[in-house]
Amino acid sequence: MATTNATLTLTSADISSDALNVSRAATLYKADTTTGLEQTTGLQKTIFSAVTNIVLFDSTALGVNKAAKVYIANKSIDPAEFVTITINAQIVGRLYAGDWMFIPWSQSDAAGNIELQPSVATALPVEYMMVHEGITQTSA
Amino acid sequence: MATTTAQLIVTSTDLLSDSLSLSAISTLTNGGGTTGITQTTGLGRTKSEATSLYILYDQSALGVPAASAHKVYIKNMSTNAAQFVTITINAEELGRLYGGDWCFFPWSAHDSSNDISITPSVSSALVIEHMLFFES
Repeated sequence: MATTNATLTLTSADISSDALNVSRAATLYKADTTTGLEQTTGLQKTIFSAVTNIVLFDSTALGVNKAAKVYIANKSIDPAEFVTITINAQIVGRLYAGDWMFIPWSQSDAAGNIELQPSVATALPVEYMMVHEGITQTSA
Repeated sequence: MATTTAQLIVTSTDLLSDSLSLSAISTLTNGGGTTGITQTTGLGRTKSEATSLYILYDQSALGVPAASAHKVYIKNMSTNAAQFVTITINAEELGRLYGGDWCFFPWSAHDSSNDISITPSVSSALVIEHMLFFES
């Protein structure tokens, strides 16, 4: 098995009168176990040049109710540019330039794809990766 | 305005033959601009003792604007790897946070049914830590 760690650090000296400094680490395990996730799509980068809604990660039977983790980052440097993230047509949120997200993905049904729609048709770079338990392979 | 940063670090020396050391850092700003997000629910903890659906962030009650750059943090504080909470947005399942897992994601809060909810897998005590950063 592999050992993969994900750490989140949230800091702010001035969002409230009590300084925020939260650091949380997690080891990425398979569902219901302490066995590390051992498969990944690798870190991918795509430069999108249309405002078309595209499937970033396709839900597959092997992923249903498992413990896959998904990372997506909008690498644009223009603060007005965003990508809208949806799961099965349900809008999760907008990642503006520089924003990132890290979520569990249980692929609860065949339509539960993770989709992305850029706000602009000019070159918009997005980085993404999934660490997972398995992907159902399509026969050739 | 406030300056709040969120940093992600993902590391592994044995997931691939090339060591993974991913770092992403963002400053939390209002949608479309560079003004820092100034509002938060504060860091909270909620203990559940049933497998019911709990609304964690109610779009209507909070009155947050739609299509914005709100951010949500949730962590399952359980130390039992088999205990999970299912995160849903308007009944669409996002994923399961198993014991020790956390997540951080944008929330566009685009309509009144766009609440963020959790459903624990167990009826014994299970603690969730959570925080919302939002714009007005």
